[in-house]
Amino acid sequence: MTFAFFNATFFDQAVLGITPILLAAMAGTLSERVGLFNIALEGEMLVGAFAAIAGSHFGGTLQAGILAAIAAGALFSGLLAVGSALLRGNDIVIGISLNLLAAGLTSFLLRALFGVSGTFSDSAMQGLPRLTLPGIASLPLLGPALGHQNALVYLSWMLVVVIAVFLNRTPWGLRLRGIGEQPGAAVALGADATRYRFIVTLIGGALCGLAGLQLSLGSLTLFSENMTAGRGWIAVAAVMLGRARPLYVTGACVLFGLSDALGLRLQGEGLPNQITDSAPYVVTLAALVIVGLRRRRLNAATA
Amino acid sequence: MTVTAISTHLTRRLGPLLPILGAVAVGFGVCGLIALWVGLRPSLMFTELIKGAVEGPQFFETVARAVPLVGMTLAAAIPLRAGIVNLGADGQLALGGCAAAVVALYLPAPDLVRLGAALVAGMTIGALYAAVAAAGEIFAGVPLLLSTWLLTYPAKGLCGYLVRTPLRDPTTAWPSTARIAVGARLGALIPGTPINQGFLIVVLVAVAVIFIDRRSSIGFELRLRGLNERFARYGGVALDRQTLGVMLASGAIAGLIGAIMVLGSQFRYTDGALTAPQYSWSGTLAALLAGGEPLGSVIAALLFAALQTGGFAMERSVEIPRVLTMVLQSVIILFLAMRGAIWRRS
Amino acid sequence: MAYLEMIDIVKRYPGVLANDHVDLAVERGEIHAVMGENGAGKSTLMSILYGLQSPDEGYIRFKGTTLLLQSPLDAIAQGIGMVHQAFKLFESLSVWENIVYRREPRRGIFVDGARARREVEELARRHGLPIDPQARVASLPVGVRQRLEILKALYRDAQVLILDEPTAVLTPAEVTTLFTVMKSLAAAGCTILLVTHKLNEVMAVSDRITVLRNGRVAERLVTAATNPAQIVRAMTGQQITLPSAKRPREPGAVLLEAHALVVEQQGRRVVDGVSLQIRGGEIVGIAGVAGNGQSELIEALMGLTAVAQGFVRVAGRDLTRGSVTERRAGGLSYIAEDRARTASAATASAIDNLAMGFHRAPPLARRGLLRPAAMRDWARGLIDRFDIKIASPETAVGTLSGGNLQKIVTARELAHNSPVLIAEQPTRGVDVGAIAFIHGELLKERERGHGILLVSAELSEILELADRILVMYEGRIVAEFARAAADERTLGLYMAGGSRA
Repeated sequence: MTFAFFNATFFDQAVLGITPILLAAMAGTLSERVGLFNIALEGEMLVGAFAAIAGSHFGGTLQAGILAAIAAGALFSGLLAVGSALLRGNDIVIGISLNLLAAGLTSFLLRALFGVSGTFSDSAMQGLPRLTLPGIASLPLLGPALGHQNALVYLSWMLVVVIAVFLNRTPWGLRLRGIGEQPGAAVALGADATRYRFIVTLIGGALCGLAGLQLSLGSLTLFSENMTAGRGWIAVAAVMLGRARPLYVTGACVLFGLSDALGLRLQGEGLPNQITDSAPYVVTLAALVIVGLRRRRLNAATA
Repeated sequence: MTVTAISTHLTRRLGPLLPILGAVAVGFGVCGLIALWVGLRPSLMFTELIKGAVEGPQFFETVARAVPLVGMTLAAAIPLRAGIVNLGADGQLALGGCAAAVVALYLPAPDLVRLGAALVAGMTIGALYAAVAAAGEIFAGVPLLLSTWLLTYPAKGLCGYLVRTPLRDPTTAWPSTARIAVGARLGALIPGTPINQGFLIVVLVAVAVIFIDRRSSIGFELRLRGLNERFARYGGVALDRQTLGVMLASGAIAGLIGAIMVLGSQFRYTDGALTAPQYSWSGTLAALLAGGEPLGSVIAALLFAALQTGGFAMERSVEIPRVLTMVLQSVIILFLAMRGAIWRRS
Repeated sequence: MAYLEMIDIVKRYPGVLANDHVDLAVERGEIHAVMGENGAGKSTLMSILYGLQSPDEGYIRFKGTTLLLQSPLDAIAQGIGMVHQAFKLFESLSVWENIVYRREPRRGIFVDGARARREVEELARRHGLPIDPQARVASLPVGVRQRLEILKALYRDAQVLILDEPTAVLTPAEVTTLFTVMKSLAAAGCTILLVTHKLNEVMAVSDRITVLRNGRVAERLVTAATNPAQIVRAMTGQQITLPSAKRPREPGAVLLEAHALVVEQQGRRVVDGVSLQIRGGEIVGIAGVAGNGQSELIEALMGLTAVAQGFVRVAGRDLTRGSVTERRAGGLSYIAEDRARTASAATASAIDNLAMGFHRAPPLARRGLLRPAAMRDWARGLIDRFDIKIASPETAVGTLSGGNLQKIVTARELAHNSPVLIAEQPTRGVDVGAIAFIHGELLKERERGHGILLVSAELSEILELADRILVMYEGRIVAEFARAAADERTLGLYMAGGSRA
């Protein structure tokens, strides 16, 4: 493979691909650290993507779309918050049913509100504008990818740092970590586990709403049924691989973003797209297997 | 038996059904509200839904739809009984259907043999693919919940590729294989209806699964593992072997359903046609509704089959998108799960 | 009016009256023991004092004011602290993070880690409880963890400290240290409530005693004016009778053998070259403070944990790499320590729980198919034989009391009639009647010529039942005694790591 294989477009697509996964993975990281297993990231993202388009269309402005995405993500995650944090129902069952509910609901509303099925696109709609960072944008190869992206991309990078600092250096982060690790001990010392779980879930929903915003308004302006295409699940895998440590999770997300872009690139080289589309999923799986084998060898604890 | 004895017995049997009925009521309520919100009439919606499920020829439609749906429900219920979630049924379904089509088209053998071999091929390929995920869990600790889901993409991709290139029938508009000869198909069971002989196969499988679950040692071990995995391990249940076993069974059934769909109603493998009706998701939901218990899962599957058939008819007659039935199913499960009626976490 | 009073406390649970008009009065700077058997109501009473539960009737008066405690948070705010029997610590966090949790010294919106560490160090020094603030809790031995729990309460300015069975996890030497700490705390004005069932400790350190029995106050005693026999009478309402003495037996063939076993976890050798043999007709007891590798050793013997080095032989067959299934088939049974999470399935019926392990062979199954009637008879038989108090065989076992659940587990494992039985904490949290019964069953196994490996934190239990006693410390067997040659003092010394004394 020549040097031209990994050109500027490749990295640009990689960064674009990483962002929604990264945002969802941060939501997942916070959930995991507070002791909840959130697999509804996929559904929350889809709801956010739809709400972004709907808000932008019916509200007329980009800001309306952004607000709608955040609100929809948070509200939808409210179902998870009530069911899991408040009522202590089974995380996995609630997560799966929420994902399916999101798919059904968005497809239904696509037909009911927009009168189309499959895809709704509006070229006149304003997507997220790209910002330019002067010094960085002119770097070779990585320049456009790092220096010429929309605000949400940069927000997602800052978010990683904010979350890492929050978890490790603030009182609330400490309490959150305690609740996730040993809820009995935390409650015994007066931490309100239910409130933390509830709030974390809602914040996670808002983050996934933003992830959906990136999907539907980030580069092209359209909504397709099930456009999240499993990214929420990849975010779950990233959280698992990174053991819910923000920096490691980010590393996992970068891996997937790169493999996603690699798939697209290989498609450009002529490989059938059915095969290349599987690239990120296969890479995720391979990473899970490799890490799993390594952990097995290190622990040697259970037969 | 006295009246009090009968009523206590009934309460014990029917008691668990009450939350489910309540959830169904909530589901209908929520969908009614959504319909109102977008300007549709809920009463119209429900009458068309129910008529569409059971009126006249629609009843046979429901039964025909129940065949793959019950199959996929069983495929989900078997691992669920042991506390394992198989989200890869779609991939196993597609591979099984594709394999069955290939065998039915190209195996040099008489018709009936091709038919039998195609069914077996579907089961085998589905089982083997599910075993890949099981291996990931057993040897590398990769959770089945994730690995099965991730594996569906390469599976569907492979079938999509095969059907576009080597196996492509150029006369069709949509990527599919050639038509399967009449002799190698699963014939109609009740002439004039869409119900084919696959019905008998699924009934057999359902009876077998229910029997094994209730009356065999294997079923005992499965159920106890679902209740407390540590206890099962401590008590001497071979967990890894069990994981492999349930995944093989689950994948086999999913692959078999794929074969039945190809050989009994579609007569060719068409890209995406097996997964379009989303039987695997409805099946997973039905199995969740019953907590993996096979008989309850089958009953839930029948309910969902009725809902979906009714949904199709509803869309045809009053143009309410049938995807609303998916919403209905999800809300029912969600409501039950939130009330902790399904596997409350400690 | 006393410093701390609990007045006319009533607490009901479905089917049982846990506290029946209980009164408690404690003076400032006193070490007050609250005694009683399991199920007598002491844990309930203390959880009410700590705000974990609300009484149905009655109230608490502290320093003259009536307290309304709706959560431990309120109790802590009022100056009442509790050290639980099962520690509530964050394993992956450091000592200082555990201590200042939810009372973190701050610098702006950040945690002031340096100040926290300083404060912890000072607190530890002031009370004579040395500890390293930066250490990760996961790496700390059990005795130090308890120190951490006490510091947590003191950091929150606890004036009343409730200690719930604090010596269960300590070596005899650590117990003495704890008593010294308790006395100095009391001298400094801290009031201590000691919840325990251990007579000698109560005699050694307490000022007054309140004895509960069946939810009521049986007696109030002044320690200096009473004696162990009187306390026991108050606790049980009768004279205790020791079970019959064992007949000496000549042990038979070696049924279970481990040689140079090594188990590693996270880089540490939790079992460090252990060799032992169990012969038919003998009870081998492993004494040792919890956390010295006993659980890991048992798990390795049963096949629940992988072995890094060494071998395990069951009836002569090398089963080092064998599964649990193979070992049970080879002749091992196992009464697990954690009866609720490991040794039973709470939501399953007694029939199911008692059938586990027997479900593949006659009489409960034939040719892979279960026989429901046989399963029901089997369960009924065991329930009758072991006098298990349960509504019906179909009842879920999660509803049973600790003692009855322990009987279910014991009944099932004994029903295997295996040549070797491993019993881990078989009578923990079980009432005196059931304890005598289980001990009797273990002795009967011995009579039948079976071998028993008994792991227990109760030295008295080991001294009562074992023919040979091994002491485990930091993953190694550091001493072995025949019963006749063992006494509590020597054993205690080895349990604490002393040797060649």
